[in-house]
Amino acid sequence: MTISRRTVLGAGLAAPLLASPLLSRPAAAQRANGILRFGLSAFPPNLQPWVSTGASAGTVKMLTHRSLVTYDSKGELRGELAESWAIDGDGAWIFKLRQGCLFHNGEPVTAEDVKWSIEQIAGEKSTAYMRSQFQGIERVEIPDPRSIRIVIKEPQATLPTWFANYNTFIIWRNSTANEPIGAGPFRLAGQERGSSLSLVAFDKFYKPGFPKLKGIKFIVYADENLRNAALQSGDVDMIEYVPWQSMAAVEADQRLKLDTVEGPFMDVLFNGTKPPFNDARVRRAVAHAIKREDIVKVAFFGRGKPLEGLPIVEGTPWYDKELAHGWNYDPARAKALLSEAGYANGFQTTLLATAQFGMHKDTAEVVQQHLAAIGIQCELQLPDWSTRVSRGSRGQYDMAIHGVSADNNDPDGLTVVLDTSLSPTHGRSFKVDAPRTVAALAKGRGEFDQAKRVEIYKVMQRAALEEVPLVGLAWREQGYGMDKGVKGFTNLPGALTTSSGGMLEETFFG
Amino acid sequence: MSAVWFAHRILIALVLAWIVATIVFMALHMVPGDPAELLLSTGGTSPDPATVAELREKLGLNQPILVQYGSFLGGLLRGDLGTSLVDDYPVLSEIALRLPRTLELIFAGTLLAIAIGVPAGVYAALHRGGRFDRIASGVTALLLAIPVFVVGTLLVLLFAQTLRLMPAGGFTPLTQDPVLHLKLLTLPAIAIGKGLAAVLFRMTRASMLDALANDYVRTARAKGLAPGRVLFVHVLRNALNPVVTVLGLQMGTLLGGTVLVEYVFNWPGLSTPLLRAVEARDYPMVVGIVLTISVLFLLINLIVELIHAVLDPRVSAP
Repeated sequence: MTISRRTVLGAGLAAPLLASPLLSRPAAAQRANGILRFGLSAFPPNLQPWVSTGASAGTVKMLTHRSLVTYDSKGELRGELAESWAIDGDGAWIFKLRQGCLFHNGEPVTAEDVKWSIEQIAGEKSTAYMRSQFQGIERVEIPDPRSIRIVIKEPQATLPTWFANYNTFIIWRNSTANEPIGAGPFRLAGQERGSSLSLVAFDKFYKPGFPKLKGIKFIVYADENLRNAALQSGDVDMIEYVPWQSMAAVEADQRLKLDTVEGPFMDVLFNGTKPPFNDARVRRAVAHAIKREDIVKVAFFGRGKPLEGLPIVEGTPWYDKELAHGWNYDPARAKALLSEAGYANGFQTTLLATAQFGMHKDTAEVVQQHLAAIGIQCELQLPDWSTRVSRGSRGQYDMAIHGVSADNNDPDGLTVVLDTSLSPTHGRSFKVDAPRTVAALAKGRGEFDQAKRVEIYKVMQRAALEEVPLVGLAWREQGYGMDKGVKGFTNLPGALTTSSGGMLEETFFG
Repeated sequence: MSAVWFAHRILIALVLAWIVATIVFMALHMVPGDPAELLLSTGGTSPDPATVAELREKLGLNQPILVQYGSFLGGLLRGDLGTSLVDDYPVLSEIALRLPRTLELIFAGTLLAIAIGVPAGVYAALHRGGRFDRIASGVTALLLAIPVFVVGTLLVLLFAQTLRLMPAGGFTPLTQDPVLHLKLLTLPAIAIGKGLAAVLFRMTRASMLDALANDYVRTARAKGLAPGRVLFVHVLRNALNPVVTVLGLQMGTLLGGTVLVEYVFNWPGLSTPLLRAVEARDYPMVVGIVLTISVLFLLINLIVELIHAVLDPRVSAP
C-alpha cells in the first residue's frame, strides 16, 4: 500500500480535530459529581404544584415537593410528611406529621401548611387537578400542631391516595403564586427555558442519607427517537418513555438496561346520546369484535398485552381472571349481539382518533379492520390532538380511541374513565348510561373493609362488562431506559408508572 | 433612491405584518381546541370541566373574540405581545430568548454553506467536466433531493448513536460551556446548510462558467496577468454578484427550514415553542412568533430591495 502526500496531509489536519475537546464526552465528569442526566419527554408547561400539566412535569414536581404520603417501590402507600394516618370513630381521616420536615426556605412543615394547601386545592377559584375530590372535604381541623383531621362529606376509603397524586403537594402557606415553596429532596437550581432544568439536592431534607444523588439535570428531548439516541450515545444516563420500537435495542445494548411495566392502556369510548351506541348490546358487540393481539403487534411492536376487560392490574386483589377476559375476541358473538340489537347488516359510523400520536392512529386502524369484519364500517377521523380533545369533550363523535392511565391501582382510580355520570371530558365516554357501574364505584369508595371492597369491585366489573362504559383494548408497556450504572430506580407497577419519577430520590450511581 | 420610495416600502411592510397577525389571530380562534382544556389535559388526563371553566375565566378566554382582538392590537401598538396562556411567560421575552438561537443556527448553516459551496463551485468551474465536477454535481443533486429531516436523522444515527462522536441534540448556552455549545451546533448547522451549500455550488459554478467565457477574461490572460489575479480580481468578483443575490433570497427559506432542524436536533429556537404553542392553542405565543417570523421575512425582502435599488437606481425611480 502506498501512502500519498494527500493522505498524510489529510491525516495531519484531521488529527487535532479528532483529539479536540469537541469530540470528548462529559459523561464521566457528571457521574463523578453525582449528577444524573435524565432525558425528559417534554418541558413542563409550568411547575404549579396542584395543576395537572403531564407526567414529565409531575416527575420534576415529585422531586421538588412532598405530600403527606407517596408510593414505595412496590406501589404501596408510605408516609412522607405524615408518619402515620388512620380513620377515627367519626369517619374522619387523621394524619400525624413527621417531625423535622423543612421547606426549602428552612421553615418547618406545619399542620397549618397542610390545611392551607388543602384549602387552596379545594378553593372556588382553584384550577387544581384534585379540586373536585377535595371539594368533598367538609372541613380540616388541627387538633394539635402535629395532627390534621380531615372531615369528609361522605365516607372515603381511598382518601390517603389523594395525597399520593403528583398534583397534591404541601406548600409553605406564605408562598407566592409564582414561587411555591416545597419540601422535596431536591431544589430547582436553574432552568434553560424549553430545554433543561437543573435540580440540586436539598441538604436539609428530612430523610437521612437521601436523596442519594447530588443533583439531576433534566434535558428535554421531545422527539422519542432523539431521546433514545441520546441514551444510546451516552448524552444522558436515563430516559423516560422509551419508544416501543427501540426497546429491543436498549435491551440488547450491553451498557444499558430497560425497566418496563404495563400501566397505561388503550380503550374505545362511545357517544351514548344517539343510536347505535346508546345500546349496550352494540357496545358489547364492539368489545367482542376486536382481536387485541393485533393492536399490541401493530401499535406497540409487541410491547404490551391484550386487555379484554376493565384495566385492573394483574396481581392486585381486585384482579379476577375470568372477569379480565369478559370481552374476549368472539366475532360470532359480536355478530349475534348486533343482530339482537337490530343491526344484522351492520351500519356505517365514524371513529375519532388523532394522527398526532402514532399509537392512537395505529390502534384506530386495527379497530377499523376488525369492526369491518362484523359489518361496522368506520370512517376514520384523525385530526390533531387539540381538535380530538375538543371534539371528545363536546360529544362530537360516534366512537373514539383513547389512551390513558388510571389515577392509581385501586379500582377507585378508574372512576376518571368509568364514571360516565360525571361531566363530560375527552377521556371518558360521552353520556353513556352505566348506572350499575357508577353505583358500584360509589359503594366501593365508601367501604373500608378490604374483603368487602374486593367483592364490590367484582360486582362493578360484571356490571361494566354488560353496560360497557368503555372497551379495553391493550395494556401498553411504559419503559425507562438507563445506563447499567444507574441503581435504585424502580418503575412503579401498573397505573403508578407515571409516578415513578419520585423514585429518583433513591437513585444513585453504582 | 428617494425617501418617499423608502417610506412607501416600510408602510407596505407594516400593513403586511398587520394582515398576517390578524389572519393568524382569527384563524387560530376558529379552529377547534380550548387552551384551558388542553393545558389541563396534558398527558391524556381528563380534567374536571368546572376546573376548565375556572381556568378559561382566569385566562380571559370567555371574552368575545373582538374584545380579545382589540386587546391584542392595543398591546401590539404598545409593543406588548401579551403573555403565554400556558405559563404566563411574556411572549416578547420568549422571542428575545429564542430568536438569537434560531438566527445563530441560520448563521452557522449559511457560513458552512458558503465555506463549502463557493470554493467547490469555483473549483468545479475551473475544472469543468473533470472528476470533481462530475462527482460534486451528483452530490449536490442528492443533497437537494434528500429532505432535511432525513439528513438530520441520519446524522444523529451516524455521529451520535453509532460512532458516539457528537451529542444527539440539545442546547447549552455559549457562556455556560462554549465547547459543548459548538458541538451541539455542528450537526444542525450541517443539516440546515446542506441545501444552501448545494445551491451556492451550482450558482457559483454556473456564474463562474459565464464569467470565464467573457472577453475581458481572455484579454486579462492575454495581457499576461497571473492566473490568481485573473481568477480573484476579474472572474470571481463578477461571478459572485448573482450568488450574493441568491444567498439573500435563500435566507428566508432557511428560516422556514429551521422548523424541522430544530425539532430533529432539539435545538430550542423559535420553532419549538411555535409548534408547542400551536398544539396547545396558546394564541398569544403563536401570533407573536408568526409575527416575528413575518417581520423578519419582510425585513429580508426590504434589504434585498434596497440592495437592488442601490445597484440599479432604475428600481427606485419614481
